[in-house]
Amino acid sequence: MKRVLPIFIVVVTAVLLITAWFQSGGAQRREMRSANSPEQAVRLMLSQIQSHNYDAAYDRLANRTDIDKTSFMREFQGSYGSLLTYASLEKFEVSPLHSTDSDANVRAHLHYSTAVGPLDDNRDMKVQKSGDIWKVVWPVSQSAKLPPQVIPVNYLRWDVISRGASDDWGVQNVDSPQVRIVSMNAIQRPDSVVLVGEVVNEDSVPAYVNVGATLLDAGGKELAQESSFDKISHVLLPKQVTPYRIDFPSMRLEKIKNVRMDAKALLVAASADPVIEINQQKMETDPLGKKVLRGDLLNQSGQIVNIPHVIAAYYDSNGKVIWVSDGYVAQALLPQIPVSFAVDVPPDIAKNVQTYRVVVNHYDTNSQS
Amino acid sequence: MDLVKSGADPEETLEAGYESKLVLTLNSGEDNRTVETSYFSRPIPLRFILLLALAVHGPLLALQLPLTNSYDANFHVFFASHYAHHWFDPWNPKWFAGFSQATYPPLTHQWIALLSYVFGLHFAYLIVQLVAVLLIPVSVYRYARLWVDERASSYAALFSVFVGAVAFLVYSAGQLPTTLSAPLYLLAVPYFYDWSRSADGGALIKGVVLTLTAGAVHHVTLIFGSVLFAFPVLWLAVIDRGEERRGISVVLRGLIFAVFAGVGLGIVLMPYWVELIRHPIQQMPIPHASRSNLLLNATYFTNYFLVPYGMLVIALPFILWYGAANRRLRPLLIGFWVTFIFGLGGTTPVPKLLLGRAFDVLTFERFTLSAALMTLPIVGLLAERAMERNARRAALGFAAAAIITLALPMAWIALTPFSANASLNVDAVDNFLNRDGHDRYRYLTLGFGNSLPKVSTYTDANSVDGEYNSARLLPEFTRYGTAQLTSAKYFGTNGMEALRMMLRHASHYGLKYIFIHDPYYEPLISFAGWKQVESYDNGAITVWSREDIPPARPIPSDAMPTALEGLLWGTLPLASSILAILFAFLIPDRQRVRSEVLLPFPPAAEPEGVLMREAR
Repeated sequence: MKRVLPIFIVVVTAVLLITAWFQSGGAQRREMRSANSPEQAVRLMLSQIQSHNYDAAYDRLANRTDIDKTSFMREFQGSYGSLLTYASLEKFEVSPLHSTDSDANVRAHLHYSTAVGPLDDNRDMKVQKSGDIWKVVWPVSQSAKLPPQVIPVNYLRWDVISRGASDDWGVQNVDSPQVRIVSMNAIQRPDSVVLVGEVVNEDSVPAYVNVGATLLDAGGKELAQESSFDKISHVLLPKQVTPYRIDFPSMRLEKIKNVRMDAKALLVAASADPVIEINQQKMETDPLGKKVLRGDLLNQSGQIVNIPHVIAAYYDSNGKVIWVSDGYVAQALLPQIPVSFAVDVPPDIAKNVQTYRVVVNHYDTNSQS
Repeated sequence: MDLVKSGADPEETLEAGYESKLVLTLNSGEDNRTVETSYFSRPIPLRFILLLALAVHGPLLALQLPLTNSYDANFHVFFASHYAHHWFDPWNPKWFAGFSQATYPPLTHQWIALLSYVFGLHFAYLIVQLVAVLLIPVSVYRYARLWVDERASSYAALFSVFVGAVAFLVYSAGQLPTTLSAPLYLLAVPYFYDWSRSADGGALIKGVVLTLTAGAVHHVTLIFGSVLFAFPVLWLAVIDRGEERRGISVVLRGLIFAVFAGVGLGIVLMPYWVELIRHPIQQMPIPHASRSNLLLNATYFTNYFLVPYGMLVIALPFILWYGAANRRLRPLLIGFWVTFIFGLGGTTPVPKLLLGRAFDVLTFERFTLSAALMTLPIVGLLAERAMERNARRAALGFAAAAIITLALPMAWIALTPFSANASLNVDAVDNFLNRDGHDRYRYLTLGFGNSLPKVSTYTDANSVDGEYNSARLLPEFTRYGTAQLTSAKYFGTNGMEALRMMLRHASHYGLKYIFIHDPYYEPLISFAGWKQVESYDNGAITVWSREDIPPARPIPSDAMPTALEGLLWGTLPLASSILAILFAFLIPDRQRVRSEVLLPFPPAAEPEGVLMREAR
C-alpha cells in the first residue's frame, strides 16, 4: 500500500488534470497557436487582442510595413475618447468566406462589452499564407486630416441662475417647461411590448425630459413600469422633438388595458452646440442580410464629440411612428469629418417604413464637469 | 527508543513514530531514559508558538491590512455594524433595497458588534481576526496530535503561523469567518475522535458545542469540513479503536455525533435554513476565477495555487511518501488529496461533477486553506525526521521555507493585478448622503470596488447595490451573471446589462444619486439622464443626480425574517460560542487531567502502557 497509494494518487491526479485541460479548451488553444489555417490565424490574433497582448497580435500581421502598431491598436482601443476607448473585446466568432492555398477571406464577428452596452462589429479580413503559417492582412485606412482653421462659435445657449450650491440642477421652484407627448404607439414584439412615440418641448426654454409608462390591466392593476432610459434625447431645446422608446420585456399586448404615460420636465441649462449634421440617410440591407438605416454624421463644431448616439424614428404612410431604434457610434466625431452610422430595423417593420427621422444625442468628456 | 535509523524501512520507522507518540504524550523524553536538552529535540511549547503568531500577525493586523487591502473585510464590518444597531433584526435595508442577514451565519459579526461597543468597529474586527489567527496554531496542534507525536504536532502548529493560505485569506481575501470557523472546527474534531473511539461523554458535549460554534461562524466551512476533516478522523478512530472495541460501534458513535451536531445546527441556524428553503439560490452563476482551470492562466495559478500553498508545493512529494508509508496517516493523506483536488477548482473535473450546480455558487480558495491545514501534521512529521538527521540545517531550511511561504502572499498583495480597492476614502460620500435629506433616496456607487461596504456602514441612506451575492433577490441582479454593480464592468456584457436594467428602474427604487470613481461609467449615466452635481478629491469621485426621481419607498419582500427568527438569530449563535468557552474551562479534557500528574525528574520508568491508549 505504501507504494501503491502514492502512485494511485499521482496517476489519478494527472488523469484528472489532463481531462480538465482538454475540457477547458487547452488543446484547442495549443492548436490555435500553430496558426496553420486561415481561421486559426484570425482566432489567434483576436485572442491576443482580447488579452491586450497587442505586441503579439501585431506580429500576426502580414502587412506590418503598411500599418504602424499604434494605428493598429487604435482600431481596437479607440481614440479621442470614443466608445471603443470604453470597450473591451469580449468574444468573437470566425467563419471562412473563401480560401485558396495561398490566401483566404475570413469574416470575424466581434462582440465588445462597452460602457453603454454591447457593441457588435463584423470585419472581413484577408489572410495570407506566409511559410507554414497564415497571417492577417490588416486593411489600411487613411484617416482624413483637416488643416488648422478657425471655426466661429455662434450657437445659442441657455444658462440658469440657481439660488446657491445646495440647489438641485433641475430647477423645480419655477414652472416646468411645457412638453407634450405628441404620439404613442404600442407594438407587440416576439419577446416584449414596445411603446414608441415622440415628445416635443413646446416651451421657449430648454427642458430636461424623461418619459415613463405604466401598463395597467383591465382591473386597473399595475402590470409593469418602465422608462425611456437612454432611448430618448433627454435635453430638448425649445420646439425640439425627440423620439422615445420604452421596452417592456416578457409582456403581452393582450394583457394591457391602459397605459399611463408620464413625461417629466425640468428647466435646465443647455446649449445648441455642437451641431451635428445627418447626411446620406438611406434604408438598405447590410452584408449579413439585415435591414439597416445608414447615414453619415458630420460634426459642424470645432470640438470633438466623443460618443454620438443615434436615435431614429420610423413612420408609416400615415405619418405614425411605427418604430424607434438607436445605436451608439464607435468612433468619435472629429470636427468636419464625416463618420458613418447604421441602426437596425426589424425586417417586418422595415417593409412598412415610408419615412424616417434621426436625432443625435452625444456624450462629451469635457462638458460633464 | 531510537525512532529514526538510517536506512530503516519507512513504514517501520513511521509506525515506531506513532508508538512514540503514545509514550511522549505522557512522559516526554522518557522513552530513552534521558532528558532531551537541545531545543531541536524537544516539542516547541505552544505558548511560544502563540507568541510567535502574535509577533508575526499582530503588527500586520495593527497596520489594518485586511481593512485596507482585502476584498471582504469591509463587508464583514458592514454586517457587524448592522448587528451593533439592530441586534435582533436581521433585516438590513441598506443593500439590495433590503435583504436578510439571516442568509449568512452571524457569529463573527455579532462578536465584532459586541466588541465594537468598546473598541469601535474596525478595531473590533481586528481583535476577532487576531483571535482567529491565534486559534489556528492551537487547533492545528490539537488536530495534529491525532496523527503524529507531540514534537511533530508542535512543528505543525509552528508552521501554521506561516501558512500562505491563512495569510492570503486574512490579508488579501478578508475571509474572517472562514479563518475563524476552520480552527474552531479543527478544535472540535479531536473531541469527535475521542467520542467516536472511546465514548467519552465530555468529548461529545464539547465537540458538538464547538461544531455548533464553528457552524454559527461559517456554514460552508462546516458543511464541507464535516466531510473533508471528519471522515479521515472517523477512519482513524476505527483504526485506533483497540481490540476490545468494534469498528461498527465507532462508526455508530460518529453518526450519533453527526446527528447531535446536525440537529443543533438546525436549531442554532434555523433562520438561515428558513431563508434557504424560502429562497434557494437560483440566480445566474457569477463567474469566479477560482472556478477556472488554473493551468490555463498564470495569474490565476499564482493567486489560487502558488500563493496559498507557498513552499508546501515543494513538500508535496514528501507528504505523499510519508502519508502513504504510515497506515495511520493514510486517511489524512486521502482526506488531504480530496481537499486538494477541490481547492484546484476547475483545474480538474471532480468538483463540478460532485457539486453540480453548487460548483457555480462556491468559491474554492477556502478548500486550499483546509488542504494546507491538513498537510501540516505530515509536514510536522517531515520536519521532525529532518531535524533528527541534521538539526541545524533542517531548522534553517524549514525556517526559510516558512518565511517564504508567508512572504509570498504579502508580496502578492502588492503585485497582484486584482485590486480590492478597499482603501478608498469615502468620507465625502458619506457626508453627502447624510446631509440635506439626501438619505431619502437610494444611491449607487460605481467603481468603488470593495469600498462600497465602507460607504454603507457609515450612512443612513440605502443602496440598490450590495456585496453579498447570496442575499440578492432583485431581478436586476439574479437574471444576470454579475456580482456587485459597483464593479459591473468587470463582468462584461452581463455586468453592464444588469447595471442598465437597474438604472432603467431608478424611479421604482428611488435611485437618485450615483457616485462614480471610474470614468468608464460616466457615458452610460449621462445618456440615462443623470447630471454631475459635485466632485471630490480633485475629481476622483463625482456625484451624479437625476431630479425627476421620487423619494425611495420600502420594497416589499417575503424574505423579511419574523420577530421570532430575529430573536433566535440574536441569541442562539452567540449562546453556542459562550457555551463553548464555558465548557472549555468547566469540562476538563482527559488529557488535561492526566497531564496534571507531576512527573519525577528525571522521569522514572513507569508502566504507562495502559494509560497510553487513552491519552489524547
